[in-house]
Amino acid sequence: MAQYYPGTSQVAENRRKFTNPDVELEVLREISDEDVVKLLGHRAPGEEYKSVHPPLDELDEPDDIIREIVEPIDGAKAGDRVRYIQFVDSMYFAPAQPFLRARSYVYRYRGIDTGTLSGRQIIEARERDLERISKEILENEYFDTARTGIRGSGVHGHSLRLDENGLMFDMLRRQVLNKETGNVEMVKDQIGHELDEPVVLGEPLDEETLRAKTTIYRCDGEAYKDDEDAVTVLRQIHVTRSQFGYNPEY
Amino acid sequence: MDIEIFPHRILGTDTTEKVLNDIESLDSVIRTVIQGPRLPPQDEIDRIYGDRRVIVVKGEEVELKVKTGRIFVELYDESGIEEIRAICDEHIDTGYDINTSKSQYIRKQRTVTDGLKYGENTEIPDELVGIADTRSKFKDHVAILKRDTLE
Repeated sequence: MAQYYPGTSQVAENRRKFTNPDVELEVLREISDEDVVKLLGHRAPGEEYKSVHPPLDELDEPDDIIREIVEPIDGAKAGDRVRYIQFVDSMYFAPAQPFLRARSYVYRYRGIDTGTLSGRQIIEARERDLERISKEILENEYFDTARTGIRGSGVHGHSLRLDENGLMFDMLRRQVLNKETGNVEMVKDQIGHELDEPVVLGEPLDEETLRAKTTIYRCDGEAYKDDEDAVTVLRQIHVTRSQFGYNPEY
Repeated sequence: MDIEIFPHRILGTDTTEKVLNDIESLDSVIRTVIQGPRLPPQDEIDRIYGDRRVIVVKGEEVELKVKTGRIFVELYDESGIEEIRAICDEHIDTGYDINTSKSQYIRKQRTVTDGLKYGENTEIPDELVGIADTRSKFKDHVAILKRDTLE
């Protein structure tokens, strides 16, 4: 049986939930395909996918056993460009965080490349696959409209104090709160180009729900040091790595 | 003595107005400074979604230029701290700290920057030292009515 993450706390449980591909994540909101295309900003809605090579069926590729074993993803079959979406997760009880995103993406999705930094996490894939994956991530528990940012550039803000209304700081003001409806709206695409019409992302989750869903250990939430199981496993990994080079006999 | 009110979230305009009004109404308070990141530029997005407006503090209109990240308060003595704590409890529901560890949070001495901004020989009243926006631009505090045109 796969062991995804140690620990007995709620945070550890949430981390296991994200990383285990058999768990279906709760869908929290609905965003149309067209809106996803708009906020990614890689092509205009309805526009054809640009390609970087002819479809694989038309290519005369050399015989290779790996090509027979591995089924190419749709975007690769069609020869799409590789595009990206990048998320920023606030330290204040965002549902996901960069390293968890990386671990869980590689368990859940094929044909992707992820890059992880302290405050942001990029995911690259062939364009049509990226749109499918983005839609899934934006609609389910990976995403909160206030604490998670979709930011291709100008990513600063994950460790700053939140605004009083719970929104994470965004220097380009892409995600803004509509005070009348209570919804967070995206008025610019991920790299800051203004959209003709705002894309409504939906209401932010309330503080209690976020604390229940978060995958971030915090001393004012669930502290890492209190999760003895997780600390024991981490210590064991550290010791075996440092002293025995991961030799399984120790 | 000075204290610093450090809210756990950046305060919005409404809360800032309430807190400032209540703090300013206390007898133990000498002066108050708000400090924080600048408000975003005034554009279409700010007009629809922004939090910018003129607030009224003790009957005087104040144009907010920054978001309230910290509030520095100069007090006559320590007795004012509990009153301020009560005000913060009432208005700031997302948590705050009151810091008293430094002896002063508001600058009391005239500096080189003051000299450059206002002129070396200008007398600045004591109560104005340390409360001007050190990053303000020339055009913010000088009104140019008519420029000379060189024909």
